[in-house]
Amino acid sequence: MSRLGQGGLIDRDRPLSFTFDGRRFTGFEGDTLASALVANDVRLVGRSFKYHRPRGILTAGSEEPNALVTLNAGARAEPNTRATAIPLFEGLEAHSQNCWPSPGFDLLAVNQIFAPLFVAGFYYKTFMWPVAFWEKLYEPLIRRAAGLGKLSTLPDPSQYDRDHGFCDLLVIGGGPAGLAAALAASRAGLRVILVDGDTRFGGRLLSERHLVDGMAGADWTARTVAELASLPNVRLLSRTTLFGVYDGQQYGAIEHVADHCTASGAGQPRQRLWKIVARRAILATGAVERPLMFGGNDRPGVMMASAVSTFVNRYAAAPGRRAVLFTTTASGWSTVFDLHAAGIDVAAVIEGRAGGSEAAREANRLGIEVVRASAFHVIGRQGVRAVALVDAAGRKRRLTCDLVAMAGGWNPSIGLGTNLGARPVWSETLQTFLLDAAPPGLTAAGAAAGCWALGDALRDGVTRAAEAAEALGKPLAARAVPACSADPAAISSLWHIPGKGKAFVDFQHDVTTGDVTLAAREGFVSVEHLKRYTTLGMATDQGKSGQVNGHALLAAKTGRTMAEVGTILSRPPFLPVSIGALVGHHRGTHLRPARQTASHGWAKLAGATFVDAGLWKRAQWYARPGETDWLQTVNREVRMTRGGVGICDISTLGKIDLHGPDAGTLLDRLYINSFSALPVGKARYGVMLREDGFVLDDGTASRFAQDRFFVTTTTANAAKVMQHIDHARQVIWPELDVQATSVTEQWSVFSVAGPRSRQLLQAMFPDIDLSNEAFPYMAAMECRWRGRPARIFRLSFSGELAFEIAVPARHGEALVRALCEAGRPLDATPYGTEALAVMRIEKGHPAGNELNGMTTAADLGLGRMMSGRKDYIGRVLAGRPGLCDPARPALVGLRPRRPDQRIRGGAHLFSPHVLRIPANDEGYVTSAAWSPMLESYVALALLSRGPDRHGEVIIVHDPLRGPEIEAEICDPVFFDPEGVRVRG
Amino acid sequence: MADIRIERRDDHGLATVMARKGVGTDAIGSALGLLAPARPGRHAGDDGLSLIGIGAGTWLALREAADPFWSDGLRDRLAGLASVSDQSGAYVIFRITGAGARTLLQRGLAIDLHPAVFGPGAAAVSAIAHIGVVIWPVTEGGGYDVAIQRSYANCFAHWLDEGVAAL
Repeated sequence: MSRLGQGGLIDRDRPLSFTFDGRRFTGFEGDTLASALVANDVRLVGRSFKYHRPRGILTAGSEEPNALVTLNAGARAEPNTRATAIPLFEGLEAHSQNCWPSPGFDLLAVNQIFAPLFVAGFYYKTFMWPVAFWEKLYEPLIRRAAGLGKLSTLPDPSQYDRDHGFCDLLVIGGGPAGLAAALAASRAGLRVILVDGDTRFGGRLLSERHLVDGMAGADWTARTVAELASLPNVRLLSRTTLFGVYDGQQYGAIEHVADHCTASGAGQPRQRLWKIVARRAILATGAVERPLMFGGNDRPGVMMASAVSTFVNRYAAAPGRRAVLFTTTASGWSTVFDLHAAGIDVAAVIEGRAGGSEAAREANRLGIEVVRASAFHVIGRQGVRAVALVDAAGRKRRLTCDLVAMAGGWNPSIGLGTNLGARPVWSETLQTFLLDAAPPGLTAAGAAAGCWALGDALRDGVTRAAEAAEALGKPLAARAVPACSADPAAISSLWHIPGKGKAFVDFQHDVTTGDVTLAAREGFVSVEHLKRYTTLGMATDQGKSGQVNGHALLAAKTGRTMAEVGTILSRPPFLPVSIGALVGHHRGTHLRPARQTASHGWAKLAGATFVDAGLWKRAQWYARPGETDWLQTVNREVRMTRGGVGICDISTLGKIDLHGPDAGTLLDRLYINSFSALPVGKARYGVMLREDGFVLDDGTASRFAQDRFFVTTTTANAAKVMQHIDHARQVIWPELDVQATSVTEQWSVFSVAGPRSRQLLQAMFPDIDLSNEAFPYMAAMECRWRGRPARIFRLSFSGELAFEIAVPARHGEALVRALCEAGRPLDATPYGTEALAVMRIEKGHPAGNELNGMTTAADLGLGRMMSGRKDYIGRVLAGRPGLCDPARPALVGLRPRRPDQRIRGGAHLFSPHVLRIPANDEGYVTSAAWSPMLESYVALALLSRGPDRHGEVIIVHDPLRGPEIEAEICDPVFFDPEGVRVRG
Repeated sequence: MADIRIERRDDHGLATVMARKGVGTDAIGSALGLLAPARPGRHAGDDGLSLIGIGAGTWLALREAADPFWSDGLRDRLAGLASVSDQSGAYVIFRITGAGARTLLQRGLAIDLHPAVFGPGAAAVSAIAHIGVVIWPVTEGGGYDVAIQRSYANCFAHWLDEGVAAL
């Protein structure tokens, strides 16, 4: 066990048990999976992506490239989770990835033999010959070998939530700079949201032994957080990862509500997606330590110096027993003294900076050797066993050790600051890339702005908060900056040290210094090309540890400066985001809202089967006990309606109130036919065109007063027609005095159709004269039903004698129940959309299938409705030669030679003795149904010169679904061609 | 148990009021005896009628308990000034009160519900879970009235159930 006897921020009174690769271990509350593994001497946590090299834990943060595990099992399994970012919980189950059967013995390590073939860009140069092998052999092999981690493929049982945050100041990162900024701003009364991805605030303060305001960093943090939590204008979000900066000063974040439990509490979401709108924001995300590039820098036991300090100080876990440190920064020296203070042997420190230092002298006083190295590499395969170096005098030295800590500099974590496209700039003094032009309202602070020293970071946080408060008109009263212990921050760069063995640039994608050199030699000299050619920075860690090293190497190989080479941008999400969190509530049946009519509950009880019509659920048919087949039900509904009376819910059709002195004028300009002279109490069928002359929609408009029209549309086009009307009255003709509003939801409407429909209506409205004389075809009236507003229209879609009754939707269910009750002695039947479709097809009425956006009024046989005496939208372009061509497909009816041969919608039409090729295609079937009235299949179709070809035979060609059918071209009105029934 | 109460209300009177050409907000307000809002917001008059601004020259008129033909009366009062369409059947109003009301609704709404910016007199047209809502604070006792188009009401109720469970 490598758990140190004392210290750390873990709770030793709360042990937790967990398993890794099936082995049981113990950790403590406050551990991460990584720190618990370190404390349990687990050094090998997986195999690398390409070469299957043994890998251990490299860092202690969310930038971790090596320690990727699959967390949980079964449906909650999450691959590629960074062990360093998983808070330990009781019963945690994790598995290593990319190795089989185990990290220690991995059969695919054989890949290493082929390493020379797998250099950068190998897939552009290999697997190309023989060509036939690609599909059968190479691609399947590559697919099997590719990818990192495995998905469970089981449905995700977790729930995901959303929330919205609003604030004056968003502080991203709760380390010293962020805490100082949040404290200053919130004390001045600003609305502050403080976000940090860790389980607790504090950042570097939790990993170092610095004092702030005279107390330990963790204690100062606790005191600060307590004050922030007590303020009503502060929202603290720990365990929350800010993943993206978006336009409009909007920020996306994921709150890991229950990721640290094996199962969420009832109703509790596992994660919550936040959208935060912030007037100002501070990016206090700290900096990521840079690895050094030397041979074997990927071996288990090689770690970042700051990670070593974190494991020792925060988690009381020793990553090794005998360490060698290679540093080019002053911060690396802190790790030397952290190790010494914890009783861990430091064999030597390799000083990478020029000149002596107080730290080196202090180390010598403690008996720690300090050397310089002109060559350096790690010895060991499954773990560090020693290092070999060439010292300043040219002597070869070998130092036994099991831990190598590297400190190569710092990269500010400014990825979020580049989400909106601003490239960072190189700072020669700080030897790093800094944010230059930031997104509106955002500034970097602390280490994220290059303030390496703790005191500078604290001061910078307060300064940025003061600037933000000033900009918002709420200046800070005081600018108290907490005092802290000294923190030397000098930094220099070394980048690459020669030596034996592969030196890695990108650990996760197995990109070596050799690969970068090769890319430069092959001409990929832009950082963007380097990235894509070598895959450097394209793994799940997005190059947080390796990117800048790769750029430095590229600069060296192409003879340019870092400033010239530049760096790449970062795109959201900054860290992986589960798709479930983005989906939230909208999955399965809740993908989109479902709209129900007022009769929905009643229809369900009546046995309805529902169909989707856009967002609506519409009753498709109402099966009765004993009916085994939908066609049987539909045929029955048609026969009962045409033979007696049927009731159909047509509430989903669009309904628009068009009011005002100029309402009639506007309707004249929208419809092809006239409405301004429509008498009060009358309805009229109308067709609207688009500007380009094609049919937009059809419906009826009724007039209830001089300045009140009621317009209906098809279900599918309700929103489109509303927009069309609004555009016409607000943009095209704003001088007209006309108002329009949707009343689709206001009215429940039922069609009552069939020879006995008048009897049923009369029973519902005993005091109203509904005779043919008093209430003829196309009449409309406002009246009352049970003391409530109601309307009756004499309109028919089925071709039967029919009425439409409308009541406010609040009473829709009561109405349909009353209709059924009153209809019982008349043998009334409810009917659904299928029967409705059959009946309108029998009557040759165009509907959605014919109003498909590609047909003109003339195509549909409605050309005579186009007024010659007024202008209307679409009139001019409808007169184009192409739209008036008599050869255009136009509406006809089709009857199969043999009535039982099924014609299907979408089938194409050919003359009998021509080749079935597109050039000879003469049209297509738009709607088809079995007609119980004709006892035959019938169809509506669009056929070239169709209206002139009644009586001819045409071939219905449907190669995907069945044999060809001979059909007779006929009038589309199959049933009751004189239209007698509707006028009864 | 979360401190939250949800009540489905369906006895209100609602109507769309759209100003006619050349008629200003003041004229509409005068005719109805209250100050008509000129931006998103809700103003109540003494007689139980309130106007909610939902667009340019467009309001929802609201009366707590209205008789079925109330909009005819409204139309008469606004004759020549505005077009009136009854919408009493078009909406179901969910009254959501209790300490958890703001938390619950903020999870669904992309507008700021902080009392400083959304207090008495406020109103907004927005969306929750892709369902259009008109929302305003309840005058007495805190909480919010959320008007939902009737066809979406059951879907919205489901969203509320899941939201309450997560409180």
